[in-house]
Amino acid sequence: MSKQKFEIFWDKYGTLCILLVLFVGFTVGAPKYFPRPNNVIQIILQSTVYILLAFGEFFAILLAGIDLSVGSVACFAGIIVAELSLLNIPAPICVLAGLLAAALLGFCNGLIVDALDIHPFIVTLGTNTIFRGVSLVITGGNPVFNLPGWVKKMSSNVGFLPIPVILVIACTLLLYFFTKKTVAGRNLYALGGNKQAAWYSGINTNNYTVVAHILSSLFAGLGGIVMLSRIGAAEPTAGDGYETFAIAACVIGGESMFGGKGKITGAVLGGIIIGMITNGLTIMKVSSFWQKIVMGALIIGSVALEKVISNQANKQSK
Amino acid sequence: MSYLEMKNVTVKFPGVIALNNFSFDVKLGELHVLLGENGAGKSTLVKVLSGINTPVSGEIKIGDRTFHSLSPRESRENKIAVIYQELSVIDSLSIAENMFSGRLPTRKVLGVPVIDQEYMNCEAEKYLQQIGVHRKPSTLVSELSISEKQEVEIAKALSAQAKIVIMDEPTSSLSIDETENLFRIIRKLKEQNIAIIYISHKLQEIKQIGDRVTVMKDGKYVKTVNVADIETRDLVPLMIGREVKNSYLNENTADFSGQPAIFEVRNLTRKDGSCNNISFQVHTGEILGFSGLIGAGRSECMEGIFGARPISSGEVFLRGKKLRIRNPYDAMKKGIAFVTENRRETGFFPNFQIWKEIAVSTSLKRSTAGGFSGLVQEDRERKTAGEYVKRLNIKCTGPDQMTYTLSGGNQQKVIVSKWLAADSDVMIFDEPTKGIDVGAKSEIYAIMRNLADEGKAILMVSSELPELLSICDRIIVFRDGSISGEFLNKDATEEKLMMAAVDA
Repeated sequence: MSKQKFEIFWDKYGTLCILLVLFVGFTVGAPKYFPRPNNVIQIILQSTVYILLAFGEFFAILLAGIDLSVGSVACFAGIIVAELSLLNIPAPICVLAGLLAAALLGFCNGLIVDALDIHPFIVTLGTNTIFRGVSLVITGGNPVFNLPGWVKKMSSNVGFLPIPVILVIACTLLLYFFTKKTVAGRNLYALGGNKQAAWYSGINTNNYTVVAHILSSLFAGLGGIVMLSRIGAAEPTAGDGYETFAIAACVIGGESMFGGKGKITGAVLGGIIIGMITNGLTIMKVSSFWQKIVMGALIIGSVALEKVISNQANKQSK
Repeated sequence: MSYLEMKNVTVKFPGVIALNNFSFDVKLGELHVLLGENGAGKSTLVKVLSGINTPVSGEIKIGDRTFHSLSPRESRENKIAVIYQELSVIDSLSIAENMFSGRLPTRKVLGVPVIDQEYMNCEAEKYLQQIGVHRKPSTLVSELSISEKQEVEIAKALSAQAKIVIMDEPTSSLSIDETENLFRIIRKLKEQNIAIIYISHKLQEIKQIGDRVTVMKDGKYVKTVNVADIETRDLVPLMIGREVKNSYLNENTADFSGQPAIFEVRNLTRKDGSCNNISFQVHTGEILGFSGLIGAGRSECMEGIFGARPISSGEVFLRGKKLRIRNPYDAMKKGIAFVTENRRETGFFPNFQIWKEIAVSTSLKRSTAGGFSGLVQEDRERKTAGEYVKRLNIKCTGPDQMTYTLSGGNQQKVIVSKWLAADSDVMIFDEPTKGIDVGAKSEIYAIMRNLADEGKAILMVSSELPELLSICDRIIVFRDGSISGEFLNKDATEEKLMMAAVDA
């Protein structure tokens, strides 16, 4: 296979290949437990939070930017929902308020990036800490628990599928449609490919930048609410460091850090890969300290894999 | 006696033969022009000599050494220097550091090697003096103009003792004065017995500085002639293999001042002061040209009209109706199109195929809610793209080819298609034929004329006087941000336009 052909193949199926390789790897490592259907559902359930956060990150990276605040936005949304639920406010209103709060944080991110023209790396590096601080102030640093029953119920099963999995499937379909079939979706790709050209083509680059950040935080917030429901309590430190997983999921999913290139399905597979690595390492009884080291190495390795194979293919075809 | 000789060199890419059995030679102290349409193989040839592309057959003789292919390192060791169209100087370094990057001179301090600034600046100064550049070697390159950056690249080539200097369209971003200065430097290089390979689309330059010309077409060698023995207009048929229609002929232009005005600009002034109190009208059927030196405020004025940069005052009318334009989105909605000067920076999307590229403005125009609503119509968009590929004769494998892989002229046609598909009433062209070959140029002229005939207002900014004179019905001249002259085509000459453009 020539380098060019390989690149086309990898563009389409690369993430799936990584997923299969890891699946086989963990199956060999823990043949008794890892490949069981129960565990597979567990992996997917664990991945839902990563996938939702990756959806948010997807839009930030699509514009050649980044969002380092997804972890604290997720935590913040969870805390809003938890605090409101304690006031006996109806569930839908609590969830809606949580999502609105998240969107508001995204609006702040977008506004600072756009109006002050500061790189999103710097902006979200700062707001990440600010948002975390706000969560700590609201809760006084203590977890919010003794929540009403509906909070936990949000991650129960409908039929054989857990609600978070249904949610992720619905979001995937929605975002697939949004990125592929709507004018707004395509304009985001245009903006990520060449901001100047987008401006001169009539795309309102300012508004689109803000919208991308709102989307980023909205999905982070959704992830945060799923996280809250699965744990059953809101921790002010929840989601700390999750931006790493979100970014890794997008990059493993084939999204370009230079912007304008990436697929929603890639972010889904990337999120599942992150979930699978966490699950697999735990089953193989790797200590959580070592898990960090292995996780980091696997993130780099799965992206490096493409380069290595591609170079090999190139050498052989010569 | 030739110094560099290429014999039967062939370079293949998947699906294309970029260089086909190509041979040519260059002598020391000679300026050898390479001429050919975009896609003729000139860039590939440059890349073979700079060690980027590897030929599948043929040989390259440099001095008394023979190679089948060159690595970038061998290219450097054999004293070949390339000055690309997109300059490769590093803004954050000083002139001297740029000149010596990769081989910085060092001296030892307590046994530790450190950069010998004094020696480096002194050496740099020597070479800058040689080509008559009066800048301190310690100046940061970011402070230099484009032409000065180019001079730094030339000085860098000199300091590397280059024997062969390749220049790829060096005058495409230079003003007339700067071009003259570059030619002065080139003559100095020739005196120092350096061989120069010079790529340009500007035929009149060849007579000014060229010694020999080699014409290429479709990767093949066509002919080499002495510049002294040929008229420039005889080169054109060699390049394209057919006669060029309408090129540098003004038989189609006319006086439209009796016609009603379609488009009008009144007292436009930009916030940054780059253009002041600009007023003009475009009449039905008319192509209006804008002449002037680079930086005189022509492009700046167009950006102001299009809403791409803020204006402090001024009004824009289309068919008598006042338009409210705050940004390019408004302008696009109201039917104004802007084909910008720099295709790479502001023209197209490197991640889009031709059909998506063409669909961008159309889908925006259909959409409401500030350009956020609406669905894409892929089938229709592909069909539309297919029609424009045919109509504007875009050379590509189909609407699914990526725009960035096309040649400059075809990229330009894609961008023009984008605006045509959006059904624009006013088309602003800023240097529409920059870096485009002769054949594609005359095609673009024909497109513009057709659009004017269809009743669209056509505005064209150009720095090439022959181009303005051949296709514009009326020409407005800018100087220092204001209009300094206006001529009907029949009254205009290159001299008159130039006089109005400079302080005389």
